[in-house]
Order: sequence, then C-alpha cells, then structure tokens
Amino acid sequence: MAEIRVERLHRSFGEFVAVGDLSFNIGDGEFVFFLGPSGCGKTTTLRMIAGLLMPTSGRIELGGRNVTFLKPRHRNVGMVFQSNVLYHHLSVYENLAYPLKVRGWSATEIRRKVQDVAALLQITDTLHRGTESLSGGQAQRVAIGRMLVRDADVFLMDEPISHLDAKLRAHMRAELRHLQKELGRTTVFVSHDQLEAMSMADRIAVMNDGALQQFAPPQEVFDRPANVFVAGFVGEPQMNILDVDIREGVAHAPGFRCDLPPGWLARNGIAPGAYRLGVRPEHVEIAEAPGHLAARLEVTEPMGAENLLTFSLAGQDFKLRQPTGLCDRFRPGDMVPLLPRPDHLYLFDRVSGCTLAQAAFTDRSRT
Amino acid sequence: MPRDLTRIASPDKPETERNWWVHVILLAVCVIAMLPVVWMVMTAFMPRDVAKAVPPQWLFPPTLDAFRMLIFEQGMLGFLKNSLIVSVSSTLLSVTIGMFCAYALARFEFAGKEDVSFWILTNRMMPAVAVILPMFLIFKTLNLLDTYVGLILLYTAMQLPFVVWMLKGYFEDIPRQLEEIALVDGDTWFGAFRRVVLPLMTPAITATAIFVLILSWNEYAFALFLSGSATKTLPPAVVIFAVNAEVSWDVLGAACLIITAPIMIFVIAVQKQFIRGLSMGMVR
Repeated sequence: MAEIRVERLHRSFGEFVAVGDLSFNIGDGEFVFFLGPSGCGKTTTLRMIAGLLMPTSGRIELGGRNVTFLKPRHRNVGMVFQSNVLYHHLSVYENLAYPLKVRGWSATEIRRKVQDVAALLQITDTLHRGTESLSGGQAQRVAIGRMLVRDADVFLMDEPISHLDAKLRAHMRAELRHLQKELGRTTVFVSHDQLEAMSMADRIAVMNDGALQQFAPPQEVFDRPANVFVAGFVGEPQMNILDVDIREGVAHAPGFRCDLPPGWLARNGIAPGAYRLGVRPEHVEIAEAPGHLAARLEVTEPMGAENLLTFSLAGQDFKLRQPTGLCDRFRPGDMVPLLPRPDHLYLFDRVSGCTLAQAAFTDRSRT
Repeated sequence: MPRDLTRIASPDKPETERNWWVHVILLAVCVIAMLPVVWMVMTAFMPRDVAKAVPPQWLFPPTLDAFRMLIFEQGMLGFLKNSLIVSVSSTLLSVTIGMFCAYALARFEFAGKEDVSFWILTNRMMPAVAVILPMFLIFKTLNLLDTYVGLILLYTAMQLPFVVWMLKGYFEDIPRQLEEIALVDGDTWFGAFRRVVLPLMTPAITATAIFVLILSWNEYAFALFLSGSATKTLPPAVVIFAVNAEVSWDVLGAACLIITAPIMIFVIAVQKQFIRGLSMGMVR
C-alpha cells in the first residue's frame, strides 16, 4: 500500500532530455496511466520509479519513503514488461516462487503463499506447466501473481497487453481493471493506446516531450483537454484542428466559416485575432440545408454502425464521424454542407497551444 | 524475344522432386571423408609387416601389438593424463573467465568497448609460430617450462578470445528485461545473473566448452615447445615415438586412435547439448 510522490524528476541522456522537471502525486490504490507517443518519456519515468534507471535529479517517494537512488530490490515495486514477462526456463510455480526464494523464504512458506496467489488469480491448474504453454492472458496473470506473492506496494506495467491480439486485449483490459480494483494496489500503466487509457484509468497523465501535459480523470482529459496536444492525442479519430482568424464572432479560414456562440467568446474573454479551432469528428454534423460551410468528400471509411468521412478543408484533412444512415448517401467528390456543433468547439492559442476556451457543453456540466 | 513464363497451366498434382543426385554427392563426400579415418583405425590393428605393405592389404589378422607397445613400453597413459589435465583445466578456466568478459561486453556500455572487442579478436588471428619463440623465453624466465600451470595458463589465454566472441553473441540474444524483472523481483545483480541468465545460457556455454576442449586437446605447436618429459601432451608425444628412423604406421595409427577416441566418444555423448547450444538463438 503506497502512494507515489514524484518531485522535479529530471533525466537526460547526454544532450537529450528524456524527462524534464516532472512532478506529480499518485494516491494509494489509484490506477494511473502514462499516456503519450513513443519517446515522450513515459517509459523512462516508469523505469525511474522501478529503480532500473537512476534520475539525473529530483526525488521519488513511495509510501512516504525516499527511494530516489535506491536499487530496485529495496523499493518493493513490481513490474511487468510488454514481452519477456516470465522467466522462460522456469515453470509457472518457480516463476511465482522466485521473488520469495531470493528473499530467503522457507520452501513450505513459499508453497503456501504461491498456492494462495494462484487460487486468487485462478491459475492453479497451470502451476506445474512450463511457461511456453501459457496463453498471452495467462502469462500476464502469472506476471501479476509474481508481484502479488511478495506484496509489492506498487505495480508498474510497461505496455503489458499491447502485443496481444485485439480480442484478447479487450478481454485483458476489462480483467486488469477488475483485478486492480479488487487488489487495490497502486498501479502505474504505460501505454500509447488512448483507448486502453480511457477504459481502464482512474486518472491519465498525458505526456509529451518529457513533460506532463495534463493529469486528470479520463473524461476530463477527453472533454477538457489542457492544450492542443492533449486534444489531438486523446480521441479516435483525432480532433480536427484548424488555424482560424476570429472577427466579429465568426471564425474564418480559407474555405471555412463558422459562427461562434457569442456568450462563449465573452465568457472566455476571447478577443478577435488568430487562434486554432478544434472540433471532434463526432461533433461535426451534416447540415440539412446548404449553409456557408461546404467541403469536398475525399474518402469514406465504413466502420459498421458509423462511417468516417474525410473531407479536404483549408488545405488539410477534416474528419466527420456520424451514424451510417446519416452519411452513406455521399460519394467521394461530393460537396457536403457541414455544421460543427457550436457547443463542442475548442479554442487554442496559436503559439503555446494552451486551451483558451473549453467547449461550451463542459461549462454547463460543471455548473 | 523474351520468354513467356506464364503460358503453361498448373499440372494436376505437385511435381515429384527428382533429387537423387544430391544423395549420390552426399554419399561420395562421406566416403571420401571417412576413408582416411577408417584406414587409420585399421592400421592401428595391423601387424607391423602388413602396415608397411605396398600395395595396402585390406585383409589381415587383427592384433593389439601396437597398443601394447604404446601403453606398456612408451607410457602412453601418462601422456593421456597430461592431455586431460591441461585441456580440462584450461577449458574450465577460459570458459569461466570468458563468460564474465562476454557478459560485460554484451551488457554494459563503456568507452572503447568496440576497440576492446576487436582487440580480443585480433589476438586470435595471430599465427602460433609468430609467438612461439617469445613465449618460450617468457616461460623460461618465469620457470614455467614443462609445468602444468604454464600450459594451462597459455591455453586459457589462447582460447579466451574464442570463448568471449562466441558467448558475447549468445548473451546479446538473452533479453535484458529478464534480468530487469529479476532485479525488481528483489534479486541482486549477481543473483539475477546466476539464477536467470546462466540457466538460459547453459546450452551455449556447454557448446563453447566442448569447442574449446577439442581445440586444447588437439593443440600441437605450443605443446611441442613448451612441455617437457613431465607434462608432454598427446599430440607432440605421438611424433616422438612413432616417427624415428622410419615411420611405424601401426604405432602411429594406434596413437592417433588413442588421441581421437576419447574426444569422439565425448562429442557423441554430448552431441545433443552441443547442437542445441549451437542452434540457440537461431530458432525461435
């Protein structure tokens, strides 16, 4: 049982800053995701918490104890990697017994503890098999079991399910979430898959370029992104973001015109000028009557219940996602009248990318 | 006019492979390779006059005279003992030391890593004759001539580059993550090495050890110059009692059999591990 405190954590490799000045707290029993693209520093941070990599500077506390420069074995954390999850020269039983053996437990104590954990994880019948006969899901269970037998305070998982096939991954998502809640261990999960993060996390730490972009519950990250990076990274397909000029309550871009709710602009103190406008594909509608915004349809991607339509607008892709019945009459090349929903628009700063105005619907739900 | 390869349609069933000639070639190669060995074994059991006969005789009453002479008059078993002591000790030493060197080269980043690796390899490239004289002088100065320690040290040094290079590749194939989870699981660095890396390396280490053992067992040039009556190993020993005024073929054959038989029996006994070690990392 432990909370994680990270203060001003910094790690550079030569000139390259992998993690710069990172601070956050993770509460006891919380399920936290580090989400970000490759090379954003999420794995580096995780390895520093595990003790496999020493920070250049900063401070890491686990359960109130300073562990910044301690070796992994003095930290009592557990870790699961994406591949090479188990010792493949040992049987399942020996895998589970390993952490206890190195701690000098007696054989009878080890047997009792391993049996308990195996029963909890429902892997008792695999105990005396070799690891190569396990399915991907079972291997992950055994790996979790290895953290459980020694009561690791913190579970660290480095993309443990991203190499599994889609169906098993969906199953493991639900299962891991359930297990984590049942066991109540503080868990840090590294992923580049935002769907994984959205569906499992208590809170998501979105990272980019070695810095924390936003640390909030999934729905808040989705509804109220802190900046243009988070807005673009979370959500599938990603948010449409256009460079616009705002004059007299209307957003202009080449071939694009969109009325903005006046109350929303005033409430957020938006002056006329250059901004970036964001709207998610599912919040763009097909207008009933031709309005002042129409775009050429380039590609249609059927996804079953919904279709994903890609338009070319202001020299870039602009996507729309709507139920199939509403949009399957269009063919590539058609000019389609579009209407972004006014209460689902976001405004970002052109230079810093910070969110200047969150979507109007989120203001309503807050008050 | 270019050939049109798409004119014909598929036959009703797959063509039968007609590759009997491969077997003929294989058989021929086997016969050519085995014949000298068979002849050597045969000479070992020939009476002296048959062994010298021209043209060679294929049929003869087998005799153990040559072996009797080697073992009871020439003390062949003493040389066999010397060979065993020197090659087994040097194999154990070079594999143990080489294992750690290879692990360091495979796992850790340090300045001049590539240079060190290459330097180790170049040591192996040096022809033995180039260093025999300096070695002789060094051994003489250090009073190592005609001692087990001297030969063992020399063979260990000779085989180390080979061990390091062979094991380095295998260590690189073992995922570092396995050691990392062992560290997180609470083990020390050495514990992870011993309990996780070494068990996975066993086949590779076995194969390397077998290789090194064969090389040391067969070593001739250094043994000829640096060993003496007390420590002479089999390869130089054969020459002195088989080649005098005239070559006694029956004795030479028997001596060769005594040298090759132990190593052959040994390799046949361990061939499973040997092949497993050599193919490790190739099949996944």
